[in-house]
Amino acid sequence: MTQPATTPSAPGDPPGPGSARPGNPITEHPITSAAIFVLVFGAICCTLIVPIYASTTPKVGDFPFFYFYLLIYMPIVAVALALAMLLQRRLERARKTSEVR
Amino acid sequence: MSNVNTVVFTIVVILFVLVTFVGFAASRWRRADNMLHLDQWGLGGRGFGTFIGWFLLGGDIYTAYTFIAVPALVFGSGSIGFYAVSYTVMVYPIALFFLPRLWSVARVHNYVTPADFIRGRYGSRGLSLAAAFTGILSLMPYIALQLVGIQAVLTVMGVGTSSTNTYVKNLPLFVAFVVLAIYTYVSGLRAPAAISFIKDTLIYVFVIVAVFYIPTRLGGWGHIFGVAQTHFTSIDPATKKPYGTFIPTTKSTGSTEFDFATLALGSAVALFVYPHTITGALATKSRNVVKRNMSLLPAYSVLLGCIALFGYMAVADPITAAKVKKSGDSELTVPYLLQHMFPSWFTGIAFGAIIIGALVPAAIMAIAAANLFTRNIFKEFFKPDASPKLETRMSQWASLVVKFGALLFAVELHTQFSINLQLLGGVWILQIAPMLIVGLYTRWFHRWALLTGWFAGMIYGTIAAYNVKDATLSHWASSSDIVFGHSVYIGFTAIIINIVVSVVLTLVFKALRVPAGTDETLPHQYTADPETAPAPIPAGVGLGTATELGTSSD
Repeated sequence: MTQPATTPSAPGDPPGPGSARPGNPITEHPITSAAIFVLVFGAICCTLIVPIYASTTPKVGDFPFFYFYLLIYMPIVAVALALAMLLQRRLERARKTSEVR
Repeated sequence: MSNVNTVVFTIVVILFVLVTFVGFAASRWRRADNMLHLDQWGLGGRGFGTFIGWFLLGGDIYTAYTFIAVPALVFGSGSIGFYAVSYTVMVYPIALFFLPRLWSVARVHNYVTPADFIRGRYGSRGLSLAAAFTGILSLMPYIALQLVGIQAVLTVMGVGTSSTNTYVKNLPLFVAFVVLAIYTYVSGLRAPAAISFIKDTLIYVFVIVAVFYIPTRLGGWGHIFGVAQTHFTSIDPATKKPYGTFIPTTKSTGSTEFDFATLALGSAVALFVYPHTITGALATKSRNVVKRNMSLLPAYSVLLGCIALFGYMAVADPITAAKVKKSGDSELTVPYLLQHMFPSWFTGIAFGAIIIGALVPAAIMAIAAANLFTRNIFKEFFKPDASPKLETRMSQWASLVVKFGALLFAVELHTQFSINLQLLGGVWILQIAPMLIVGLYTRWFHRWALLTGWFAGMIYGTIAAYNVKDATLSHWASSSDIVFGHSVYIGFTAIIINIVVSVVLTLVFKALRVPAGTDETLPHQYTADPETAPAPIPAGVGLGTATELGTSSD
């Protein structure tokens, strides 16, 4: 709002203000976007692909592996999603600054 | 009322009275100037933050029936019951994709129900009616099952008169439900939101205590798993097949890995398509609250994992196992286990927790169904000029009707029938996933193609579920079916049919240039995060509006 976009984008910053899709987070931050994708999709796949964990062994304590895996998996998903969210926020912040320009 | 334990009974009554008080007091909580508005009664003012949102959604998703039915399934069939654990983990990454988009577009356009969105997105009253109809249809047996959960606890408590008249026999259930109906009428979504604090605290306490204490009584986890493994791999003389599976197998029938995975995936996609969970999500105050909760809610799934293990504890405890077998009703697994393992006062707390755990989701479900009726049937087809006040009054009354409908359902029909209907409810609600979830991303699908796809999925799902039989039941025996030599969740097959029909017909309708209807939503509205719902903004948003829409981040 303060200063309309006269500041040129840094050299090497691919899509400038006038280009086709200004502020597309996926093209501007491919690594962060990929990381979010891996975290979220990984969280789904690691429980969807049952053969990964459908076995009695190795036993962890008294717990057969299948049951241990399912119980321990939930805190892991929670952390993965929290991480994905933080990354996504960074992307959003970047997009907002480019929108205001 | 012969074998009632006074201590258990007294504690349950005290907890019920406490909850009733909170339910009525909730109408004064976060009070707004104009309470006669559906945003207030039906969505609690759309203002809940992360903390309350967590309790509300947790109370909404992890219902008493889950606490009763999941261990019952584990007790009866073994590892397949753990699909519920897998599904309640998978649901959050899946919902993280589409739920924030739904929240944003609903906030911008003041949508109250998922069918409101479908109406706006596709400009189709027929499609929105299909969504509303499916929503109400799936919610009725779900509410009835909450009552089945209460009934299971009351049966084990010995409460209920010995009269042969069903209505006299279920008097305590009626009393509980009438009280629930009245405070939901008065306080709307605020009542379950406030009560969910009590519910979740009690549930957490009793489950954590149970998970640490019961194994010490039963010779440790090693013994529990050992007994369960021996039991589920041994052959049932009646059916000549194993009693169940201890670990999902790759064999083509029985509880296979494929069955486990499709059941979990189908249920996970269905969960946030159910109108009552969407009601919970839309009641939060910002987009970030929704997102944050997706990473906080798995905490409940840990709890569910522990609860599922109750099924194995019951297998390992000869007295509980014998009692459940004698009653012939596996729904009684958890109540019998708790009653046998704990002193009376703690059993009272646990039973109270389960009963309250049924009241919270039952209230939210009734509100969600009432909102669907008011917004997408009553207002859409009968009274397009209904004022917000009339809408709210209508919803309040509809919530009463829905609750008493569910009550009749639970009392009149055999328990097994309600359970099967709920399984079918999952299959049904999944059929609106393409129009809702895919619709949040693209308008490529043609509205009539979606409607036909929905119809095909509903018909296939219902017939397939009807035809499933096992040793004891000739129909509705389970929600899985054999497809191409694999045991697969029926909802999964049905949604594939649904999508294929939708894709093919979309191509046809597009080639024939059938009108696609108008879309009242705009791309940027799916990521908007407004503080309060603004009036719909015309296309070509200027600088000022963009910042207005984009700046708030709670």
